[in-house]
Amino acid sequence: MNKTLTWTFGLLALLTLAALLVSNLAIEPSTKKPLMLLLFSSKFLLVAFQFMELKKAHVAWRAAIVAVLAVINGVIAVA
Amino acid sequence: MNPKAIDYKSFFYPPGGILLWMIIFLELITFGMALGAMAFSAADNGPLFHQSRLQLNATIGTINTAVLLTSGFFVAMAVHNFKAANLQKSSLQFKLAMLGGLLFIAIKGFEYYSKIDAGLLLDSNTFFTFYWLLTGFHLIHVVVGLVILFVLNRNITTTSIETVEASAAFWHMCDLIWLLLFPVLYLIF
Repeated sequence: MNKTLTWTFGLLALLTLAALLVSNLAIEPSTKKPLMLLLFSSKFLLVAFQFMELKKAHVAWRAAIVAVLAVINGVIAVA
Repeated sequence: MNPKAIDYKSFFYPPGGILLWMIIFLELITFGMALGAMAFSAADNGPLFHQSRLQLNATIGTINTAVLLTSGFFVAMAVHNFKAANLQKSSLQFKLAMLGGLLFIAIKGFEYYSKIDAGLLLDSNTFFTFYWLLTGFHLIHVVVGLVILFVLNRNITTTSIETVEASAAFWHMCDLIWLLLFPVLYLIF
């Protein structure tokens, strides 16, 4: 468990650095926007499933958090 | 309750408790709706949102993201150690998590001060109205989370695993909300 949490934290740190790098890249906003949303969604799910231990919960809770995240990202991406 | 006796697979007991998860979902949906409104508003005022976004310091935002995630990591470790009956270690980790929370507030305070100094206030434009309302509302959650962690840590020898998990879930909720806010406010537009 300790190891899993440490690996998760390391991965979150890498994703944070990756987001900072991507945000400074001179690429099209239409490419950058989904890329940033993807990076932050990965971090969101890592926190929810590993730190909050949602991975142990009933499938309905796991599906609900993924659905809420997908709807929020969908609305931001479509706008 | 013995943590091994809790059936997390039960729909009625997700880690942290069903009531707290209902609050978490309500909060995420509320912030999500506000971010959706912001995204649609940005579609109508693209240049204004882009220029305003450039006046925010993404590096400070990234540092605050790292601080909050580190604090969340210590909380997750503290819960793990509490379950293993290692209360001393758990208490130390809760204190480190609180330190992270205080650092987040200090950095945010510095950021707010620079924005006020530059005259970028709630009524400056639509972008800054969203910025102040969303980050301010999130900051209130961080303060409430800190109070919860403080009270929890003071009573760590007598508290139950359910209380520890619920308090930790509230703190992680602050991480989740920030992970939704940060890219939209600081990076995307």
